[in-house]
Amino acid sequence: MTATTINGRPLALPDDPDALLIDVIRDGGLTGTKLVCGSGVCGACTVLLDGTPVVSCLLPAQAAADKSLTTIEGVGAAGLHPVQKAFMAHDALQCGFCTPGFVVEATAFHDSWRATKGAAAPSREEIAAALSGHLCRCGAYEGIYRAVAEACAGRFDGSDPIAPRLEARDKVTGLARYTVDVHHDGQLEGVILRAHVAHARITGLDLAPARAMAGVAAVVPLLDDDNMVRFVGAPIAAVAAKDRRTALKAIAAISFKPEPLPAVIGLDAARRDDAPVVFEKKDRKRAGNVSEGAGGAPVSWKGNVRGPSAPFSQKAKQAKSWLDEARAQRNPLLVEETFRVSTQQHASLEPHAAVARFDGDQLTVHISTQAIHENMEKIAKRYGLPHDKVRVIADHVGGGFGSKGSVGLETIAAIELARAAKAPVRVAFDRDEELSVAGYRPAAELKLSLLPSAEGRLKALSLTAHADTGAAVNSLIAGLARLIYPAEAKELVDFDVLSNLPPGAPFRGPGGPPMSFALEQAVDEAALRMKVDPIQLRKLWDPDPNRQRLYDWAAGLDVWKSRKPASSQTGRYRRGVGVATGYWLYLWQTGSSVELAVKGGRIVASCAVQDIGTGTRSVIANTVAKAFDLEPQDVEVRIGRSNLPPGPGSGGSRVTASVVPPTLLAIDRLKAEIKRTASRTPAPGSNAPWREMIAASPDITVSARRQEDGKPPPGVRPALHEAGIMGRVFGWVLRLMNHMVVGAGVPSSVQVMEVEVDTWLGHVRVLNAYTGLAVGKLAAPMLARSQAAGAVIQGIGYALYEARETDPLSGHILSGSMEDYRIPGIADMPKLDVHFDEAGFEHVPGGSVGIGEVATVPTSPAIANAIRDAIGVRLTEIPFRPDRLVAALKGRDAA
Amino acid sequence: MSIAVMSAKPTPEFRAGGTDFSERRRSGVSQGMLIDIAATGDKTITWGADGAAQIGALTTIATIATDARIATAYPGIAASAQGLATPQVRHVATLGGNLAQRSRCWYFRRADIDCLKKGGNTCPARSGNHLYGVAFDLGDCVAPHPSTMAAALLAYDATITTDRRSGLTIAGLLGDGSVSHADHTLAAGEMITSIALPAPLEGERASYKRAISRTYAEWPLVELCARVVIAGGKFQLVRLAAGGVAPVPLRLTAVEAQLSGKIANAASIAEAATAASSGAKPLPMTAYKLDLLQGLVRDVLERLSD
Repeated sequence: MTATTINGRPLALPDDPDALLIDVIRDGGLTGTKLVCGSGVCGACTVLLDGTPVVSCLLPAQAAADKSLTTIEGVGAAGLHPVQKAFMAHDALQCGFCTPGFVVEATAFHDSWRATKGAAAPSREEIAAALSGHLCRCGAYEGIYRAVAEACAGRFDGSDPIAPRLEARDKVTGLARYTVDVHHDGQLEGVILRAHVAHARITGLDLAPARAMAGVAAVVPLLDDDNMVRFVGAPIAAVAAKDRRTALKAIAAISFKPEPLPAVIGLDAARRDDAPVVFEKKDRKRAGNVSEGAGGAPVSWKGNVRGPSAPFSQKAKQAKSWLDEARAQRNPLLVEETFRVSTQQHASLEPHAAVARFDGDQLTVHISTQAIHENMEKIAKRYGLPHDKVRVIADHVGGGFGSKGSVGLETIAAIELARAAKAPVRVAFDRDEELSVAGYRPAAELKLSLLPSAEGRLKALSLTAHADTGAAVNSLIAGLARLIYPAEAKELVDFDVLSNLPPGAPFRGPGGPPMSFALEQAVDEAALRMKVDPIQLRKLWDPDPNRQRLYDWAAGLDVWKSRKPASSQTGRYRRGVGVATGYWLYLWQTGSSVELAVKGGRIVASCAVQDIGTGTRSVIANTVAKAFDLEPQDVEVRIGRSNLPPGPGSGGSRVTASVVPPTLLAIDRLKAEIKRTASRTPAPGSNAPWREMIAASPDITVSARRQEDGKPPPGVRPALHEAGIMGRVFGWVLRLMNHMVVGAGVPSSVQVMEVEVDTWLGHVRVLNAYTGLAVGKLAAPMLARSQAAGAVIQGIGYALYEARETDPLSGHILSGSMEDYRIPGIADMPKLDVHFDEAGFEHVPGGSVGIGEVATVPTSPAIANAIRDAIGVRLTEIPFRPDRLVAALKGRDAA
Repeated sequence: MSIAVMSAKPTPEFRAGGTDFSERRRSGVSQGMLIDIAATGDKTITWGADGAAQIGALTTIATIATDARIATAYPGIAASAQGLATPQVRHVATLGGNLAQRSRCWYFRRADIDCLKKGGNTCPARSGNHLYGVAFDLGDCVAPHPSTMAAALLAYDATITTDRRSGLTIAGLLGDGSVSHADHTLAAGEMITSIALPAPLEGERASYKRAISRTYAEWPLVELCARVVIAGGKFQLVRLAAGGVAPVPLRLTAVEAQLSGKIANAASIAEAATAASSGAKPLPMTAYKLDLLQGLVRDVLERLSD
């Protein structure tokens, strides 16, 4: 056994030559170092080896022999490092899962920078190069740039700052505990056996060889009762063993006979008449769900194609006949195009993970989830347990983006293994599972026809979407085009195309970015043909009051006013500017409850909600603090426990609008109670009367449920009202089935992007991004800005880099590593200008609605329109990779 | 996910920095015995009287990227080292390991898919998804060679010494691209020990660039290391070694020949760059790489002609 020192303490290294440093570090209880990609790409596992940053996920443990190791826990152990303070002050983090790696690397950069450069601030380029071995999925890059520059310039050498994000300190020090970090005594590691064929009936499943192995505590089957696998990676069984290596050996020992069935992979193959059918009629209920809401009316289904689903069409026949007529007459204003969007993986840095434990009949499950309360209810229902016997915990969640809303397989496997093993079990997906079977935004083909009238109004629109949903249904893309740009007639048709690929899942504004990608390019094209300014055309066609104000802001931007036509550019590098619009529904969840208490002279706010990096703790703390003239840090916020008063899921951008209003109600009630029970009033002229009264108050508890909104001003309506009677029905179903209300007023975003295209190397760079947002008053302004920035960079990933790649025959997902699934890095973050228009939601108590989804909807079409502006060619398929750029420039089809 | 279907018998492997090896170990692609050479290998750079360098195989990429004398004598080697992987990987990855690393093909990297390099009979990428495959189709396997340093060393006529052989050229080390079952010609148990570079030429300049979709940290779609000697405004020497396009790094001899003695300006470079595709045989999904290769030739040579 060799030794090293870690954070100044001795550490014994195992003799096993295969042992990797990250496992030794984490197994030793230092869980601030995170395992994400396992291939040295993302940097979340970065530690210092004799002061040099290295990735511990690839470093043999023996390579650390006789060296000095520093992990995030050792950085600033004697007091926060300036980099940590700067990260806190600049909100250079969201979910926080990548933060320890970034901080470790940035401290090494900072220390060597200041040793040689003094107090000069490094440039963006220098920071980007230094941090190029790190990835952040939330997109906190803007704050990271500022934090590193200012720390290097010596601006954080003093006292600890007040962080706008309540839990920032825990995240920059590595103390924040995520589900993957949970460790109980006697905890076992669970691993899932998955299919390696795309379509088969499994017979002869024999778990006995695995059960007989030393170190194996439980083996459970996970096949559905039809014994079918319908995609590579479909679950077959799970094993709990003393460690991962033993569990992997055990699943390899499980035997079964797959009876292979013909498989069909992807959108185009699955639509053919002779394509093998993925779900026979009797099995259709087994398909997954790619939307946040429940399914609406029954939809027809032919082979693998489910649809047409067209509830939001408006005079569809009329639209069709006008478009046919325009086509026949070769109307030059008729815009017709087929667009394609690719499959986008959520790529949350914390994988899907659950740790289940039974204490008698009490089940406790830590889950990396976006919906603790709903998970508790669903687990209780699935296993026939009373609600008070199931406790779901999520203190910190390393990203979700829509993929962690339902009760996932990791949770089911952990619970069933824990029950069988009579011991706590952790199941955490590896990166390949996370990037293949954990859900995705489906790819889609979008056929669009748009016809302006002779008077320059929008006359008719037709959009037909075929979504590549894998083993799932319920895509809604085309239908969303009903809720913007009123026209005389619209034909909006959605199809799901099922194939032997993993099921899609909701992803940040499900259906929104694909719809916007097609529609916003078509509007841009119409403006070009009509020879009118694209912003002015949107002003004319889109009466929404929030967006009218955002259009005025966008039209006033210098970058917009000074853009040059593509025809004037002939060199290697060409610049272009594009605009696009997006909206999302304003949603809130009925029954959302907040409890406020005075406990021991301190205010405690409680709600069974979770913070997935979106800033929920801070939103609640800020709201309470403001009312009592306190600092947010003075408020204790208890969330992340399902046994607190029921809170909303972190999906549909609904958290802020669900928790702020009942918090305000509870504040009024608490104030009244404090006054009523006060033994004496504060000293006259006190600077902090509430602080004094709270400190002197007996313990009190009040609570409030989400109240209805006030009456909106005339013209401010729920987005669904654009869709007439069907919209109202849809809203009613949403409220009844999903406890979600579509409120009045439409969260909106208008974005302007400036790009540079390198015509030699097919490279697109977004130079400057301008995002205007109307999401009401900001409950946590810096965090809202972080969300806006993160949404833009995720949209840039969607537009330029991200694509799931599959084998067209076997159905294997080939892009299961973060080398091959390419999310944006810090150098890909443009300079960003965020404009918040805080009006429009005065009828909402508190005036705030959600931002997460709307802020990413228009990014990809704004980039597409900017590229069109730069090179004079419209690219219709994302991502706009170099292969597609050079092909478009030569007028050839790309791969 | 983990189901191994590999047909090859595992052979012992050397581990240097481990940045390639550990990932294949975790995924189950590598299952044989491991021999760690990190502590014992040669990490020194020695300089001959003629100004030629010999680099120990265990020298890290970061050392090569930041060594002042390497940067002066062999700027193309330094720039290539600076351009590959990430800062953390460069700190531990070694020159010998970079040359001996295994393919990055996404079929090869999955333990549950068989392929030529794992002892199988066919290349699944050829009939499947070869978006990042070769554009010079020289063998049965369609994966480009992953070593950035190999392309740089090819441009410099470097020779490799192993514990059994010496004076190996890059072509001698990696083959001609027709061998599909391996990434190099090293025998089982044969280890690279050092790399020798010839003395730099009077007045030579060099550069490196890769075409990728993001800004940093991506395996190259196409990469190019170029050396030139320009005298009296004319190219006296042009050396171009391209990676990412073939099963082995390729010299672009047609472009080199065309530019020899020509005026070093944008027009002559643009004209010669079209010859970069000479001998190319793109796959259905890889024709774009030839456009990028041409663009890189122009980019790199124009900068060197400034």
